[in-house]
Amino acid sequence: MSCLNPIDPAVLADYWLAALPPSEEEAVEEHLFDCDRCGARLRDVIALAEGVRRLARAGSLRMIVSDVFLERAASQGLRIREYALPAGGRVECTVTAEDDLLVARMAADFSGATRVDLSICDERGVEQQRLPDIPVRSGASGVIYQESSTFAKALPANTMIARLVAVDETGGERLLGEYTFHHSRTLPGPGSWQSI
Amino acid sequence: MNLEVDDAELARQIGSAAGRVAETEFCRRMAPRIRLYGLRHLRDEQAADDLTQQVLVTTLEALRARRLREPEKLASFVLGTCRMTVLDMRRNAQRRKRLLNQFEADGQAPVQPPPPPLDQERLRRCLQNLSERERAVVVMTFYDERTSADLAGFLSLSEANVRVIRHRAIHQLRQCMGAAA
Repeated sequence: MSCLNPIDPAVLADYWLAALPPSEEEAVEEHLFDCDRCGARLRDVIALAEGVRRLARAGSLRMIVSDVFLERAASQGLRIREYALPAGGRVECTVTAEDDLLVARMAADFSGATRVDLSICDERGVEQQRLPDIPVRSGASGVIYQESSTFAKALPANTMIARLVAVDETGGERLLGEYTFHHSRTLPGPGSWQSI
Repeated sequence: MNLEVDDAELARQIGSAAGRVAETEFCRRMAPRIRLYGLRHLRDEQAADDLTQQVLVTTLEALRARRLREPEKLASFVLGTCRMTVLDMRRNAQRRKRLLNQFEADGQAPVQPPPPPLDQERLRRCLQNLSERERAVVVMTFYDERTSADLAGFLSLSEANVRVIRHRAIHQLRQCMGAAA
């Protein structure tokens, strides 16, 4: 099973997504009906797509999401726990066994920001993780951060501080907003990090 | 039968004395391709299986009756039958049922092996290793099959840039998951 002109997996993904122009789609289909190696690649791409979809539905990814993403999740019956904070805001929060997705809407003024990082800090403000160059829609008044619900459900009571930071070309940083989450545990399990 | 026999020879053998063996090989060879086409266009496993069955029956009938004038174009003939059948399935679900019943006895589509399970934890780690934009593009693309145009607005990028990011991310994910090039 050899192929002299294998189709790029990314093009196969475009084919799967119906994102190819008709002439290119026809050419891909002609090839797939003559080449089992590329067919196997397409199956890999489909498996990858399904895997990503399952992880997204499980809410187990830390990432920035869009309103449309949340609307779609809600329309599919996923339960979304949502908190909205202004810059400098604090919130008492939790997650229950019934929640599928856990998100925070963090308001900020992104004027003049060319790159925005999201810094995840512990209760002392010490950075634990950074999401660099997060997607921020032009003219947006905030971002929607999805925390891993799998992680949050296992988390004992704690405080997390999130910071949105504008980063300039020289690496200089400007704080756009700080958001404090006081997480209390509603699921059975350890009450604090110390008791783990 | 020699499994290396080309499509043209396979088409010629169907309907001859060695036809039964050739038909089995034809089904073995074409069924996975038809099913992939069905998955892409019908987005449903059961519908893809139905399409596979129906196209195999239709094409075999044509081959037995020697209606394929250019045997070397067997793959194109099967693809064309797929396209027509999908159109037909969309137009008339009732007709599909009738055809399946009519050729029930001839149903020769081999059972497709389930795809190998994906290591979800490994995939999660691979996704978290992508840049924020790459992750956003991949997840939102595959989660609700959004177009580059939809994502371009959210990311404040051009459609072409979204496509480039998606392509790069898919290559990285495949590499991280240990896929062959």
